Amino acid sequence: MKMTKEIIERIEGEATLELEWENEQVSFAKIKFFNYRGIEEILKKRPLLDALALTPRVCGICSHSHAIASVLAIEECYKSAGEALHITQKAKDIREIALNAEKIHNHIKWYFFTILPELKRVGDTTYAGNAFKDKQWFQAQSAVMQSLKMGAHFTGQWPHGSFVMAGGVTCDPLKSDLISAQGCLDAVIAFCEEHFYGMPLEEFLSFDSALQVMSSPSALSYGIDEMIKHGFDRLGRSFDRFLALGESYRYEGSLKASKTTVLGADIKYVHESLQHTFFEDKHKGYTYSKSAMYKRNYCEVGPLARLMVSKDALMRDFHRRFKDAALTRVVARAVECAHLLWRTKVLIDHINLKEPSLIPPKKDIHSLSGSGIGVIEAPRGSLIHSVVVHQGLIESYDIITPTVWNLGNGDKQNPSTAQKALIGLNSFTKADFILKSFDVCSVCTTQ
Amino acid sequence: MSHKYSIIWLQGLTCNGNSHSFLNYTHMPSFAASFDMLYHPLWCGAEDFMSLLNSDVTFDFLILEGALSHDERLIQRFNLPFYEILDTLAARAKYIICAGSCASFGGVFRLRDPEKITGALFSGKEKGGYWLEKNNIINISGCPVHPRWLVETLVALHHGEKVLLDEFLRPKEVFSYLAHHGCLRNEYFEWKVDSKQLGEREGCLFYEHGCLGPMSHANCNKILWNDISSKTRAGSPCLGCTEFDFPRRALYETQKNMSLPQTPFGISKRAYYSLAGVAKSFKIERLEKKLIDEND
Ligand code: SF4
Repeated sequence: MKMTKEIIERIEGEATLELEWENEQVSFAKIKFFNYRGIEEILKKRPLLDALALTPRVCGICSHSHAIASVLAIEECYKSAGEALHITQKAKDIREIALNAEKIHNHIKWYFFTILPELKRVGDTTYAGNAFKDKQWFQAQSAVMQSLKMGAHFTGQWPHGSFVMAGGVTCDPLKSDLISAQGCLDAVIAFCEEHFYGMPLEEFLSFDSALQVMSSPSALSYGIDEMIKHGFDRLGRSFDRFLALGESYRYEGSLKASKTTVLGADIKYVHESLQHTFFEDKHKGYTYSKSAMYKRNYCEVGPLARLMVSKDALMRDFHRRFKDAALTRVVARAVECAHLLWRTKVLIDHINLKEPSLIPPKKDIHSLSGSGIGVIEAPRGSLIHSVVVHQGLIESYDIITPTVWNLGNGDKQNPSTAQKALIGLNSFTKADFILKSFDVCSVCTTQ
Repeated sequence: MSHKYSIIWLQGLTCNGNSHSFLNYTHMPSFAASFDMLYHPLWCGAEDFMSLLNSDVTFDFLILEGALSHDERLIQRFNLPFYEILDTLAARAKYIICAGSCASFGGVFRLRDPEKITGALFSGKEKGGYWLEKNNIINISGCPVHPRWLVETLVALHHGEKVLLDEFLRPKEVFSYLAHHGCLRNEYFEWKVDSKQLGEREGCLFYEHGCLGPMSHANCNKILWNDISSKTRAGSPCLGCTEFDFPRRALYETQKNMSLPQTPFGISKRAYYSLAGVAKSFKIERLEKKLIDEND
């Protein structure tokens, strides 16, 4: 049996993709992540609030997401110890704005810095590209910056801002801050209208057919054409099974979907497996990435999952045509970005600055014992922080990142979501692109 | 115009935060006009990494991001032990720039195994990191590094200027300042008015909330982050992320000695506590009130 081993570059971190081939087709794939850093271990025995400072350092591209998941877990600890904290709507809105800034920037960065050049590479394997010579790259970089600046009005800085605390948020913005933030957001919207979607945001958001998106010249329709040209409208399909455990303004509670059937989900069915990791077996293991399953099933998480469980009309139309192919996955990020731009504009417009930013807990944190789970929808999907605290010190801290859901390793009988999407492909170049369609973050995975 | 300077960006044990922070540089086209990014792990650079590694080209800057280790079980890149790559490239670089606290001192990830995981020249505060000696290293600490600290250091070197460094090999133009300088809460600090609780514009975070601004070297509150804000402006304490001992324990609590906080950097206990005593003995009504009182 033929085996190949290739490095996956230009993702967050680095991965090795080992492919098994039969009759010129991928028969199995192993996705390997190295360079483990051990944040969960580092947190042990530290004061609980240190998690707010250290967990953002899990990942440079989704540091706000980790901060928010962490504060939710800490607030649940208070609840388990008998004190349910009241978080004002203002604090909730600010957390959501921060998270949206991170998601919006992530999706723009990923589409313009990763997907577009990678598509060129699929068309011409000798294509090298050079970001510093590409005008659109600079325009996208500027939009990315504006998106993060918008968020930094509330979070102080990105990456690694500190702005959450048990009981709310630490910032107390003025009306003038909101006006300035809105200005930054408008600049991002202008970039997306001109380059990403090729039309006004409102028009894009009113669509319910893939054809409408494809009819207007834009970076997105260019990408769709290229993907169809290379067969990514059929390739990269997986189980067509989705999960969104964190909350969103577009749906109620935690949900899962099998194709287009949407049902309630419960975090208690989440199971973390150490199969094939160095943690389970130092010698036989081959990756530092754990795997996460829902009721022992692998599910896809991320923008596509969120749009599928929220029954988004436009995504459903893409899905009807292309199922959960790589193309659908890529388009989902662009569509989600549009919704988030709109939503964030509304949030900034409506935030009630009169409410307190934070209502401090009554219980002294040094005597806090209990446990809590924080779940949010990070840019790449459901992110879970789970902590046990004893007398104010962390007993254990466990993090399940989105990449662990999508890019874990199962076995031949029960492959993971990404493995399933790779099986049957006939070239490494395509496998490389399909892996990237999941927006791989090896950094998060090897926390 | 002088010729372009070339950069290779290499990652050790990292969260990628310094790369993403660099991407927040406001004048990127101007930077790109003077520099060639031969290789960066996250986006398309001018060259293929393996050909660079196997060639004998010399280049101007090796930017290191992340903590370093000689132990190949802890870190590898391109299926090679990390030290092979680092040693090869370091030998051909004119300057080695440590971007962030991990590459400078070991940072967060050093805590897992301080014997084996270190910064380039330092392990925490001790000399002797990945290398014992090397005379072309500049540390630009911070978790993450500020894009301007990095870019402005590179540009100064490109202009052939001498960059003055402090005892931890950090550029003095950035690290002679303290995070405290320019914080909007300075007046509360002067008059010892504590922030009663987080989430408010008023009060200083030094007395109860663990702010390390007065002992952390960085110009955060001078140049601001993302061109707009900073931790203390967003109501959170400075975490001391530019210092060799980042992250300290209990970052949201003020470490006290006989109920007195630590003194600011370079200020004697006698000077600080006498002044603090006097300041505290006055009750400044304006500072006890809300900054903006809607009922006034
Ligand atoms: S909050 Fe921190 S940085 Fe600001 S004045 Fe107080 S001590 Fe200084």
